[in-house]
Amino acid sequence: MGLTILEKIKVLQKNPANIRNLCILAHVDHGEQEYLLNLIDSPGHVDFSSEVSTAVRLCDGAIVIVDAVEGVCPQTQAVLRQAWLENIRPVLVINKIDRLILELKLTSQEAYSHLQKILGQVNAVTGSLFTSKVLEERAEKDSEEPEREASGYGEEVVYDWSAGLEEVDDSNLYFSPDQGNVVFASAIDGWGFSIQQFAEIYSQRMGIRPWVLLKTLWGDFYLNAKAKKIIKGAQAKGKKPLFVQLVLDNIWSLYDAVVTKRDKEKVDKVVTSLGVKIMARDTRHSDPKVLLSAICSQWLPVPQAVLSMVCEKLPSPLEMSAERVEKLLSVGARRFNSLPQQTQELKQVFLQCSSEDNAPVIVFVSKMFVVDSKALPHKRQRPLTHEEIAQRREVARQRHAERMASALAVKEQSAEEEEERETFVAFARVFSGVVRPGQRVFVLGPKYDPALGLNTLPEGCSAQSDSLPDTPHMSRSTLGGLYLLMGRELEELEEVPAGNVLGIGGLEDFVLKSATLSSSPACPPFTPLNFEATPIVRVAIEPKHPSEMPKLVRGMRLLNQADPCAEVLIQETGEHVLVTAGEVHLQRCLDDLRQRFAKIEISASKPIIPFRETVVRPPKVDMVNEDLGKQHKVAIIHQVKEDSSLGRSSDTLHVDSVGLVTLTTPNRLATVSIRAIPLPQEVMSLLESSAELIRTLEQVNMSLREGRALEVNPRTLEDIAALKDRLETLLQGHRWRNAVERIWAFGPRRYGPNILLNGVESYQRPSVWQCLNHSADKPHTTLRDLDNSIVSGFQLATLAGPMCEEPLMGVCFSLERWDVQTSASAPHQDSVEEEEDAVSQDAPGDIEAQGENAAVGQAKWRIEADCYGPVSGQLIAATKEACRHAFQAQPQRLMAAMYTCEIMATAEVLGRVYGVLGKREGRVVHEEMKEGTDMFTIKAILPVAESFGFTDEIRKRTSGLASPQLIFSHWEVISSDPYWVPTTEEEYLHFGEKADSANQALKYMNAVRRRKGLYVEEKTVEHAEKQRTLGKNK
Amino acid sequence: MSIFTPTNQIRLTNVAVVRMKKGGKRFEIACYKNKVVSWRSGAEKDLDEVLQTHSVFVNVSKGQAAKKDDLTGAFGTDDLTEICKQILANGELQVSDKERRTQLETSFRDIATIVAEKCVNPETKRPYTVNLIERAMKDIHYSIKANKSTKQQALEVIRQLKETMEIQRAHMRLRLMLPAKDAKRLKEKLKPLLQIVESEDFDEDLEMVVLVDPGCYREIDELIRCETKGRGSLEVLSLKDVEEGEEKL
Repeated sequence: MGLTILEKIKVLQKNPANIRNLCILAHVDHGEQEYLLNLIDSPGHVDFSSEVSTAVRLCDGAIVIVDAVEGVCPQTQAVLRQAWLENIRPVLVINKIDRLILELKLTSQEAYSHLQKILGQVNAVTGSLFTSKVLEERAEKDSEEPEREASGYGEEVVYDWSAGLEEVDDSNLYFSPDQGNVVFASAIDGWGFSIQQFAEIYSQRMGIRPWVLLKTLWGDFYLNAKAKKIIKGAQAKGKKPLFVQLVLDNIWSLYDAVVTKRDKEKVDKVVTSLGVKIMARDTRHSDPKVLLSAICSQWLPVPQAVLSMVCEKLPSPLEMSAERVEKLLSVGARRFNSLPQQTQELKQVFLQCSSEDNAPVIVFVSKMFVVDSKALPHKRQRPLTHEEIAQRREVARQRHAERMASALAVKEQSAEEEEERETFVAFARVFSGVVRPGQRVFVLGPKYDPALGLNTLPEGCSAQSDSLPDTPHMSRSTLGGLYLLMGRELEELEEVPAGNVLGIGGLEDFVLKSATLSSSPACPPFTPLNFEATPIVRVAIEPKHPSEMPKLVRGMRLLNQADPCAEVLIQETGEHVLVTAGEVHLQRCLDDLRQRFAKIEISASKPIIPFRETVVRPPKVDMVNEDLGKQHKVAIIHQVKEDSSLGRSSDTLHVDSVGLVTLTTPNRLATVSIRAIPLPQEVMSLLESSAELIRTLEQVNMSLREGRALEVNPRTLEDIAALKDRLETLLQGHRWRNAVERIWAFGPRRYGPNILLNGVESYQRPSVWQCLNHSADKPHTTLRDLDNSIVSGFQLATLAGPMCEEPLMGVCFSLERWDVQTSASAPHQDSVEEEEDAVSQDAPGDIEAQGENAAVGQAKWRIEADCYGPVSGQLIAATKEACRHAFQAQPQRLMAAMYTCEIMATAEVLGRVYGVLGKREGRVVHEEMKEGTDMFTIKAILPVAESFGFTDEIRKRTSGLASPQLIFSHWEVISSDPYWVPTTEEEYLHFGEKADSANQALKYMNAVRRRKGLYVEEKTVEHAEKQRTLGKNK
Repeated sequence: MSIFTPTNQIRLTNVAVVRMKKGGKRFEIACYKNKVVSWRSGAEKDLDEVLQTHSVFVNVSKGQAAKKDDLTGAFGTDDLTEICKQILANGELQVSDKERRTQLETSFRDIATIVAEKCVNPETKRPYTVNLIERAMKDIHYSIKANKSTKQQALEVIRQLKETMEIQRAHMRLRLMLPAKDAKRLKEKLKPLLQIVESEDFDEDLEMVVLVDPGCYREIDELIRCETKGRGSLEVLSLKDVEEGEEKL
């Protein structure tokens, strides 16, 4: 044809009918027609199934490769499921058949049954996918019309056992050699064949019509040589099936001659009978494999077998099924026909796959990948056009507004210049229209709603015009360079018509991971990619050198964009957490960070695990379930030293037997009495879920206190009233009488799940609910002085509990007495002073420095400040201490964060799943069999603290047949008491003096304390006598 | 008369001696190594795990027990266990290497925790993790002083860390209310103390929301109170200005 390859590709791109977009799931001219194949190879490991997801979306067909020895593995199931979900047509290649011959030494007959089995397994997977889909559809239908059925005539309500399976045709779903969608191959030896090839060969040789052979070559047929007939029932009669006789035996004898026996004469005979020419060099080679591949690659060349199957069996972009289009376009649960009219019309565009200039451009970007700038064809980035500069400026401005910090944006830009060596290219496919570089298109975010977009945008507008109203989840961008992806090479293209896979540059600012690009606002965003693996393995990442933090952050940002499945987040603790799909994936992400994105040394570690502290009602039974009341406590053998830190009976602190703590400030001016009460579980969860609302409430109260009325949305008021009602219904009973009205504050941070109650009879404080009835003229109650100090003390106490300085949860502090004998001083300054003292406690060093700065002329004011300041400050400290002691007077417990864990597992590995769960303190909530499959769905609860490495362990133990998904669900009280020591006789009997069995809560508590550098009550040496007793010099 | 030769020399192993001088006499008790500090901190509750023997010596290594008269004279009792406890609580002892190491480690962590609590990364307004601070402290070769409080040392560490990495005390957010009369004059004076002025509202009074370094708080407070004669006010909106919640990059 006299065209270079590149030119030819460009020509071929114009005709979508001759394009085959396909991807190889696991590990390429045909006839007279020339085809363009876009091959996307994707890794086979489960951790990288996200890569498969991105590839599958862009393809029309897939080659699924199955190992002839290993058969169907979990990842095979996964990829088949993905292909199924995306509605793309798969073809099957059974590879490594040579291993059956040489390693397993199967006879051709055995190999045949083995292959049959594998095919059966693959089809079983497809079948179960199919049945579950049919069942689902049926369930949907059933739920839609239950009443109709109920009202139906009695005799007609018959339960349909067939479950609709028979009604739906599934014959074209399965892999079957006679359909031509299966290839048997041994890529290493260079051979591969489909039944067709042999059918053609033998139809000539034996004079049987090819279609007959095609039908009978695979299956239970045998050749009756006398009758010259092909007869069914080979197995029953103990005859060789046709496939074995005509196909496998030939291959087996070839291997036998060439590899096993190395019989030169026989080889020559075979070679001549096959009509292939062998170079003399190959025949003399010492390695028989060379000769083998020389023969095979001419006799049954694998490329030809696979490619002809691809070209014939896989669809071109033109043949995209209407079903797939609807699936792509209907986001979420929305039905396709509920989309706007204009959007529905787009379906035709998809089906036509037209490359006309007036056809709307629709492109889907499935992932962003990083390319070294040097690899780009134009080597250097071109100078930006005016438009682009304006665009960038706009983006920068947006970013600027978001961050609110000018310094940050500047840094960002310099960072961008620095990193020019890495460029993002979007991996995309044109579904309709023609794409050209510099084209303006809409970038549609996943939440974009075409109905909304059509309403806000003027009729017939295009992405060209600059002044368009803002639409949510939509932005406009200009396409950069278009590239042809040829392995590692990128070739620049002038235009790309519909149906092609391409790379697009210049989108990194607009597209995060995947996006839909379109020239028409009517186009809905495509359904999000189906990821088989959700990211679950969490690690905290830190740079080796702390000064390299900004580099790490930038690197993680790049990684996030480049990897479809990795998630990156910054936690409240300041940890940078990387979430990946599995350990292997994690390893790759870390390597990428080290070598490409951040280029610094990093270390990954177990992430910090949060805990909460709470109190519970005193237990009625001891650890061995004996009633506590009847037993007398055994005198404690160990000497319990007077705990000086608690100072239970010091002169300022008094703790009575029911847990009421009375504390006096050091200057003896103020006294507070506080009691800690556990909040019911429901109240705790209610408070936690309505944190936002309480925050608003607090803001309203704050402004009311200052005398300014804040305009409150009536909706919010309703919500607040509802919250109050809920609380009232939940807090029933004698001890909670009128409790809701008496709520003083929430904490920590003024909106947490802890409550401060006002139990002081004489103090009528404006309620926190005052915004609800502020219109009514109530007798105006004023705040007592120092009200704020109490609240601050409470906030500080709830922010860090006494057990391991973690926030409190579900604790109610009731202030029952509050006496202040304060000198009359300016009350309006209390809020100021209180904080001041909190600060001064904080930073003693600072204060020393500032003491000298005070001007002499201000001495008069200082005196007043000094004599006043400490009172509020001391009161904060006193309240905080009193809260802590009140907390300690109750039975304390730790609360652990819990994951709910959904595990899909096959029946045979169920036991091992339970084993891993049990080892990690998990507990199974329920288990059920998934309808239509042999998979079990197990729902379990697992402490976050035990989850590190859980996924990996479960995968290893179950050989990858179970895949857990972890989602944070709730906080749960750990039932064991961290401070527990055996006290009753029964407990001594059961646990011994030292209670040697591990105390889970104590373990967690000490781990946190050690991490924070708090004092851990642990002996340096456990057993005094067991030390190494020799001196150093011996 | 014993001759001090290797054969009859008895080496005391696994023994820590606690000494106390009382009533002009020196008393010693024999304890196990690495146990005395645990006893003092309350972690060890079993006395038998601490004491080798319940007797009080004049010289442990020579095995000379203290005389009863001296004991009653000095301690007012002849209950040996009681006396041992007193000596354990108040006597001098050589702290063993293991004990010292744990002590140092704890205070090192403590300092790192305080630094991590007080500081943020100025770029992201998020705290650093304790681990990272620890590593940074090791990088600048910070050595712990036993006679200074951990808080004081933490402030010192912050100053030193600023030279090698991006770190900053978390700012306080304050609301200043200045009466109109003094506002202008006062603002000039306040200016060097304020880090960032977030909003400024000048109707009758000047109302400002500002971010300041926590170290300047007292100074600002002083200034406002003195200059406005108590009419201006200062309110702390948040002690620590940090980003809350998780953020996805």
